[in-house]
Order: sequence, then C-alpha cells, then structure tokens
Amino acid sequence: MIELIHTQVFQGHHLLVDDLSVTFQPGQFWGIIGRNGVGKSTLLNVMAGMSSECQGKVLIDGESLSTINHRQRAQKISYLFQQQEPCLPFLVDDAISMGRYPWLTTQSEDLELVETVVRQCKIDYLRGRSITQLSGGERKKVEIATCLVQKASHLLLDEPLNHLDVVYQEHIMKMFKAYSQQNTVIMVCHDLQAVQKYCSHVLMLLSNDCYLQGTSATILTAENLERLFDDNSENH
Amino acid sequence: MLHIESANLRVWLAFLFLLSLMIVALLLGSVHVPLQALWDTSSPYHEVIWQLRFPRAVNALLVGASLSLAGLLIQNLVKNPLADPYLLGVSGGAAMVQLSVIITGLSVTSLTLFISGFLGSILATLILLKLSYVGEFRPNKITLNGVVLAFGFAAMISFVLATAEGHQIKSMMFWLMGDLSFAELNVLMPLILVAVIIILVHQSRSLDILARGELFAQKSGVHTKRLNLQIFIVTAVLTSMAVAQAGTIGFVGLIIPHIVRIMVGYKHRQLIPMTVLVGAGFLLIADTLARTIMSPIQLPVGIFTALIGVPVFIWLNRKV
Repeated sequence: MIELIHTQVFQGHHLLVDDLSVTFQPGQFWGIIGRNGVGKSTLLNVMAGMSSECQGKVLIDGESLSTINHRQRAQKISYLFQQQEPCLPFLVDDAISMGRYPWLTTQSEDLELVETVVRQCKIDYLRGRSITQLSGGERKKVEIATCLVQKASHLLLDEPLNHLDVVYQEHIMKMFKAYSQQNTVIMVCHDLQAVQKYCSHVLMLLSNDCYLQGTSATILTAENLERLFDDNSENH
Repeated sequence: MLHIESANLRVWLAFLFLLSLMIVALLLGSVHVPLQALWDTSSPYHEVIWQLRFPRAVNALLVGASLSLAGLLIQNLVKNPLADPYLLGVSGGAAMVQLSVIITGLSVTSLTLFISGFLGSILATLILLKLSYVGEFRPNKITLNGVVLAFGFAAMISFVLATAEGHQIKSMMFWLMGDLSFAELNVLMPLILVAVIIILVHQSRSLDILARGELFAQKSGVHTKRLNLQIFIVTAVLTSMAVAQAGTIGFVGLIIPHIVRIMVGYKHRQLIPMTVLVGAGFLLIADTLARTIMSPIQLPVGIFTALIGVPVFIWLNRKV
C-alpha cells in the first residue's frame, strides 16, 4: 500500500503537484491520467523513492519512503521507466535476471523465475541477443520482464504501452491486470481506452492543485474528460 | 551456463599465460640469460634476474593491473567509453609535484618520487571531488571538470619543462611518458591491489547493475550514491599508486577494459580478474620490449603501450 498524505511535488523550484492525498491499495490497478507536463511522471518518481523533491508524507506499507533501506524499497517497488538509459550490450537473459538484485535468492531460483516470466511475456525469441541490438518495442518488452521478475508488491509503470504493437499491448495489459490481483499496480498512461478497459481506479490530474480520484466508472465521465481536454479552461 | 564456464576458463588460461610471460620477461634483456639461472644460485646471472629484472617485472605487473582496473571502474562511473583513469586529474597532479621535486633537485629517489606523486594525485582528486559535489556527488560532472583540470595541470607542467635545465629535461620526459626503470619494489602496492580486487569482486553484481544505468541501479535497490563514491575513491587510489610508481603510462587504462569486454563479456565477476591479468601482462610485454628492443638503450614504456595496443585493439574490434 502506498499512501500520499498532503504531498507536494516539485521540479526544481516549480511546484507541480500541491496537496495531494491518495491511498493505493493492493488489488487495485490505478491509471494516472492528465495533460502533458502536469507532473504524472514526476509524481511516479516520488512514489518510487527516486526523487526527494517533495514535501508531505509518502508512506509504503506504513513506513516513510525516505528512510527505508534501498534494497527493502526495491523489494516492495518495481518501476518501469518511460525511456531507457544507454547501457552496455548485456545479453537479454542477464539483463532480465538483474531484476532479482534486491532479493538474496539462489541463482537457480532466479533462473527459474526468469524462465517463467520470459514465457509469460512471449520473448523467448529474444534470448541470446544483446539488449542494445533490439528494436524499441523489443527493448520495452525486456524492461517489462525485468520489472516483473522483481516480484515487488507495487508495480509503477510510466507509459508502458509506448513502442508496443496493438496485439502485444492487449497481452501485456492482461498481465498487469492479473498482477494487480494481489499487488498494487499504478500506471501513467495516455491511452484512455486502455485505462477504461483495465484500470479499477483512476487519478486524474487536472492542474497543479485540482485532482479527481475514484473508481474508473466514476472518474472517466464525459463531463470530466471534457474538463481535462478543454483548451479554453484556465488550467492551460 | 556454458557461457559462464567458458568465461571462467579464459580467466584461468590468462593466468597461466601470464606466468609463462613472466619467465620469458626475466630471461630477456641486455645480457642473455640461460633458463637454469632462475634457480641456480651459483650462476652469475642469478643476481641479474632476481635483483634487477624481477622487481621491475613485478612493478610492470602491478602498475598494469592497477591502471586497467582503474579504467574499468571509471568507464562505468562516468558511463563514457572514452574515459581513462587520468580523467581524475591524478596524472597531472602527480606529475606536477614530481617534476617540481626533480627540478628543485632536493632528492630524486624512488621513495621521494613515490611519496610526492601520491600526494600530488590525492590533491588533484580532492579538487575534482569538490568540483563534482553539487549538493551530492554527481559522477556526470567528472568528465568535463576532469578534462578542464587536466588542461590546467598540463599548462603548469609545460611551464616547469620550459624553465628546466637541459640535463633535467630528459629524465622529466621519461617520467611524463611513463617509466618503470626507477621503481623499486613496494610492499604496499600489492597489498592494496589484492584488497581492492577482493572488495570489487564482492561488489560485482552491483557493478553490473550500475553498468545498466544510473537510474536503473537506483530503482533496483543499489545504494548508488555510496557505490559511486566508493568507485571514485578506489579509482583514485589505484591510479595514484600507479602514477607515483611509474609516471603517466598512457593508453593502458583506456584500452585494456575494452579488450577484456570483447574477451569475456560484460559481467564484472569475470571482467575484474580478467582485467587485472590482461592489464598486468600487457604492461609486462610493453616494458620488456622497452628495455630490450634497442638495448642497451632503454626506451619509455609509454611508447610501446600505444604501439602494441592500437593494432591489437583494431584487430579485436573488427569482429564486434
């Protein structure tokens, strides 16, 4: 469970998100939606413990995120970045098993888990290749698999559908949905149809101090969406 | 699985190769020495081998290993394949202080050179660390700051050279190109090197994760701030020792890590021991050539590191 209590999020000196309080429970699949630059990714960064540019409380299972030990944090939170950093040409298998770093499990356990996730993600055909030789979509699949083998109780996803073909988008959303049965999944996404179809809850960021939250059905109404995309409103 | 085992096998093969290389290096030189002089105490060459060539060969191994390992670490730290250990300004700082010692003519022994070199490099490293600290340690600041700092030191070195007396210039040039003929055996260096290798192999998984990306490491639970600072300190100590012992030998720290990655892949558990072995062997070959090719005239080893390294790297890299 991740709790934001009167949280403020900054980017430099710029206040992006003001006084936000939300509780993300296990069994929920959250979609975070909003216009460009409203602070979706920055908020996700704060929830992942990657940014200290925030005030107020951010709690993970009741503990403050800023004081928790790095390894323990990674056991609880797995985070899919929007963009991949440049890196050395690791083999796909080696790259995926890096997701096991926070757990001090044996190598054979890790390999077994990698095996399962590779099959679930349908990326058997990528094994033996190096991650720098993959296409954008293929690389994304490897990064998703890396996040899944981490077996964290919270999965944070920053635009996971980018670069993926429509068929695979469908497949991976079903996997996230299944993952959210026992865990918390929080996804930043611009694909409103996908959010509507799969997310149980939605956080809509309208401006830096105006938010709507609740179940998908109550938030994704024609009226709210009109507010979100109204270019004449004072928010934009 | 097979891949991992074959990488381990290569590490052992490299170790055996290094041993035989060592024996060849002891036998080659201005005077021709028969093989049995290695163990035959009555042989007139016994002393040549163990008093002259052995210490020098050991120093070549230690310096080569230190520089290569430092190169492997710094490339991971600043995420730049062109980074070499001298990016930390260590060489400039060390050379500055050492040349000042030579020019004032206070006392030019291997001990005073070692101490002055070590002090100079630590000084330079501290300046760079201060420049790269903006609220917290920022490895990405190192590259530009390091390059700029190196220019500053280069200017001071040129100033020292321009004002030096004729007879001092040649020994200074040797020092700037790297030279192992001065060095005496130093007990501290192998001890520190072994300690560093043990620490690094222990951290090899974290180093792999860090090579996947700074943010990736952070989200995966690596304490990146602590690890980055650790890498910085270890690199500075390794480089300082090498420079203090043998001057600024170029090219080794830049190219050996690349050669080793081509040989064993990208995992630090194999990369670290292999880098140590290949770096050590490479500098031993270069130094053996430096003292034999025009013997009895001895050439600076820095010439040969590049002369051998460039074609070897081009040949290996063409397959990748």
